[in-house]
Amino acid sequence: MSTDPPEDHRPKHARGGRSRLRAALPPRASRGQLVAALLCALLGFAAAVQVRSNQDSDLTGLRQTDLVRILDDVTERSARLQAEARDLEQAREQVTDGTDGSRAALEEARARVRTLGILAGTLPATGPGIEFTISDPAGEVRADVLLDALQELRDAGAEAVELGTVGGPIVRVVASTHLTDVDAAGVEVDGTALEAPYRFRVIGEPGTLAAALDIPGGVLDVLRQRDAQGSVTQLEELTISSLRPAPAPEYARPAPEDATDDDG
Amino acid sequence: MIAAAGLVLGIVAGLFLEPTVPLWLQPYLPIAVVAALDAVFGGLRSLLDGIFDDKVFVVSFVANVLVAALIVFLGDQLGVGSQLSTGVVVVLGIRIFSNAAAIRRHLFSA
Repeated sequence: MSTDPPEDHRPKHARGGRSRLRAALPPRASRGQLVAALLCALLGFAAAVQVRSNQDSDLTGLRQTDLVRILDDVTERSARLQAEARDLEQAREQVTDGTDGSRAALEEARARVRTLGILAGTLPATGPGIEFTISDPAGEVRADVLLDALQELRDAGAEAVELGTVGGPIVRVVASTHLTDVDAAGVEVDGTALEAPYRFRVIGEPGTLAAALDIPGGVLDVLRQRDAQGSVTQLEELTISSLRPAPAPEYARPAPEDATDDDG
Repeated sequence: MIAAAGLVLGIVAGLFLEPTVPLWLQPYLPIAVVAALDAVFGGLRSLLDGIFDDKVFVVSFVANVLVAALIVFLGDQLGVGSQLSTGVVVVLGIRIFSNAAAIRRHLFSA
């Protein structure tokens, strides 16, 4: 161990140091030299082995406490990552559920818009139905007859109706449609003057609609009494393309969903 | 000269034989190597100082290795093995540096 005398700054020894080193270079087979060589060989061997084993694996050189600590770290880290993965999966489920829900709601809303558009007359409609033409040479068909006919058609399940003069103006008939007599001849439907011959175009079950007009004492009988003629044509497919704008309600607003009928 | 040859011989043998370190030796080998390195540097310095002695070198070498291993063993038993190993390595590193500085002064006068 006597290897650490206090450091001395003695450059004057430099020459001596080198010459001593040179003097030590020639091999002398003394017993002490051999033992020192043996120890040096042992050192080189051990160092090489240690370096080699250290390169082999990171974990084999570690002591038990280190290994336990590393194991703890890894376990904790894995638990943390698992929790994170769980959170993320949950978030993903929420997101996909949300988009699925909103997509379904959007689809439903679009279907509703289509249905309501047909009912309100803002969308063209197509389907099976009838054409009901009323020729009125005597000018005896007034608004009441047309209104009766319209009510019969509605009772028979008419889903979309338009009324017009053959070859003339056409009005889409909706819930708020009103018919008024015009003084001379013809009727006014929602402010549009129509003249005979009139033509209803109706989408619904064709047989039911035709039968509803043809009942005894029904629309066709009334027309015959007034010297007018009604002809019904059943069609596989007809398109009602006349539209009307949807009026924006000025006073009525949608009631809150939880509002009851009898509150303030 | 023989010592240097022995050192080279040992390194070559270690590289080519590739022995596996026994499990019980694994914690001590690195510290023992550092301690032996310290002893070798000390021996080289004493050689340049002109006070080299075979017997002292052998004793310091063996004692260094044994004390280092003992400290590590003790640290392991006390549960502070890694910290004590670090401490030993630091101390031995400082000694190696001071020995290397003395050797440098001898060889290069600087």
